[in-house]
Amino acid sequence: MSDVVTPIEKNERTVNVQGIATHIFEAGSPVAPPLLYLHGTNLGNLWLDYHRALAQYFHLFAPDIPGFGLTERPDWMRDMSDYILFFRDLLNELGLDKVMLVGHSIGGWMAAEIAVWYPERVKKLVLSNAAGIRVKGSSIADIFAMNAQELIAACFDNPMAAMPLMPAEFNVDFLLVQYKERTTLASLAWNPSYDPKLERRLASIKCPTLVIWGANDRVIPPVYGDTFHRQIANSRLVKLEGTGHMPMFEKHEEWARSICEFLEQGKD
Amino acid sequence: MNKLQFHYFHLMPWPYLPADYDQKYDSAWVTLPNSIYDPIKGHALYNRYLDEIERADKLGWDSVIVNEHHQNAYGTMPSPNIMAAVLTQRIKRAKIGIVGNALPLHDDPLRVAEEIAMLDVISGGRIISGFVRGTGMEYFSYSVNPTISRERMDEAHDLIIQAWTRPGPFAFEGEHYNYRYVNIWPRPIQQPHPPIWLPGTASTETIDFAAGHKYPYMTVFMPMDQRKRAYDMYRRLAEEKYGYEAQPEQLAFCVPCVVAESDDIAMKEGEKYVMWLFNKALKVRPEFFVPPGYMSVRSLRGMLESGTYGRKASFKELVDTGVVIAGSVDTVVEKLAYLTDELHAGMLVTGGHVGEIPDYLVLKNQTMMAEEVMPHFREKPVRAEPKPVEIQPV
Repeated sequence: MSDVVTPIEKNERTVNVQGIATHIFEAGSPVAPPLLYLHGTNLGNLWLDYHRALAQYFHLFAPDIPGFGLTERPDWMRDMSDYILFFRDLLNELGLDKVMLVGHSIGGWMAAEIAVWYPERVKKLVLSNAAGIRVKGSSIADIFAMNAQELIAACFDNPMAAMPLMPAEFNVDFLLVQYKERTTLASLAWNPSYDPKLERRLASIKCPTLVIWGANDRVIPPVYGDTFHRQIANSRLVKLEGTGHMPMFEKHEEWARSICEFLEQGKD
Repeated sequence: MNKLQFHYFHLMPWPYLPADYDQKYDSAWVTLPNSIYDPIKGHALYNRYLDEIERADKLGWDSVIVNEHHQNAYGTMPSPNIMAAVLTQRIKRAKIGIVGNALPLHDDPLRVAEEIAMLDVISGGRIISGFVRGTGMEYFSYSVNPTISRERMDEAHDLIIQAWTRPGPFAFEGEHYNYRYVNIWPRPIQQPHPPIWLPGTASTETIDFAAGHKYPYMTVFMPMDQRKRAYDMYRRLAEEKYGYEAQPEQLAFCVPCVVAESDDIAMKEGEKYVMWLFNKALKVRPEFFVPPGYMSVRSLRGMLESGTYGRKASFKELVDTGVVIAGSVDTVVEKLAYLTDELHAGMLVTGGHVGEIPDYLVLKNQTMMAEEVMPHFREKPVRAEPKPVEIQPV
């Protein structure tokens, strides 16, 4: 597999799902296996190297999760079950019967839930630095209590890797967008910050699963990756050194290569 | 001069902060280690504070007020209803205000309805019941989801009012609170229910709610121009949206008042002690102050665009902008008269205790307010013309 990422044309559009105008990037060969990528908090409406890398080998669909990026969250959309049903309907709307499902952080939580509830729609699963469970004694960081600098310090080993997330101008509009996205996260994960039933249910996931984690993750500690790996029988665990919660920013080539190699194994 | 009610408000702060507090800690709330609290000193402090409140009653203040805050040095009354229960036994004349119970923080607001009813019965109908959402910080301290704070506030309010006023048992079917049997024993003495106050920091949503229910709206620690805007909005909503004329008793203002023998002395005493409130007790991480979803985007935009949030002000600036009132009796009377006569506000809520202020200054402040300021805003007693005593034949 080549490390060289060639430019990939992306298609940007809006899909109506449950009345929600859902912003989505689509890229890659239409005959390649479809891959649904679910981003983490504050990471909507981005098109970066790691998206391009995935789109080299897969037909990538990268929606903005409602409440993030350019997709608004209706007021009724408040808990994980609303999001699981939303993604079921998004897959229907996109005409995708079965996908490679990759989720990061809060998007990883969503991916794990989709794999639990709709196993027939998930061919392979990738959980990167995923939320959704609790490991007693190793709390997930309280990012709601962090300011922007603290958040970057917690998420990144190399703060320079956060440059794509920096706004052109720190103004009131930017702060309000951040506030709205944090509000979406709070509605899902203020307390509890996990699904108390998910860990037990992970045992029902039978599809091949890759659990991939930044070894220095200070937001969702690597022991969470260990736990996902332990609970999902058909899973393998990869820890990437020299990166934390944002391996797709800091080690995007290694991160994408690990994922693509895993997803390509045994593909038809 | 228009009439003004005088309400004595106590926060019961924890004044004994360590010498390195300013450098070492970024918040008096949520994360300030509770090893700083000393229960032995706390015992003496609670009783000293209760003595202060008892004096306010004897000096003729209209009410004494306590409130609810959690896990902080600003105010050490996590259960204001316990404090109010103590006060029912100490305070025999003045009304007793709880301003207020932080409704959304509690999963069982029926308990608040019961406790206020108990207090109203014990006190013989002297309870004022404030309802608040709690500060943003308390959504961290209690792990309550701030995104549903306002919905829980509105619903808990409806539940409590119904519990006090509707014959039970009945079912309450809410989105956040659901009870098959609402049937509180005891019921409150005051009919239809104890007065409700709503403190706020000028969010449109709270002012509208207060005006709609004809509840007194209390502005807290804000510059005079913001208070004016809040009262103007209340009065306009009352008139245009709800069809009545707001009365002075519906517009309250919570403001630290320092009264002394001269303006100079008041400024010096105020600077020395009142600044503790703003520099230390209200030191809060911005992330704690506005958790996600706690404020509407519109209100947050207003706060951010005003540029006032987080701005450090000197004591003189606080006095100049009307966040604090300080001065001689004449000065304080003049400033209060602006509130009563120009802003049509009719309820002053203030206290004497901040930081490490010594007791003699608390006593001076509460006494001068009661004996020298208060009479200017009271109705003058009608003096009967002297006339000879008529001796009735036996």
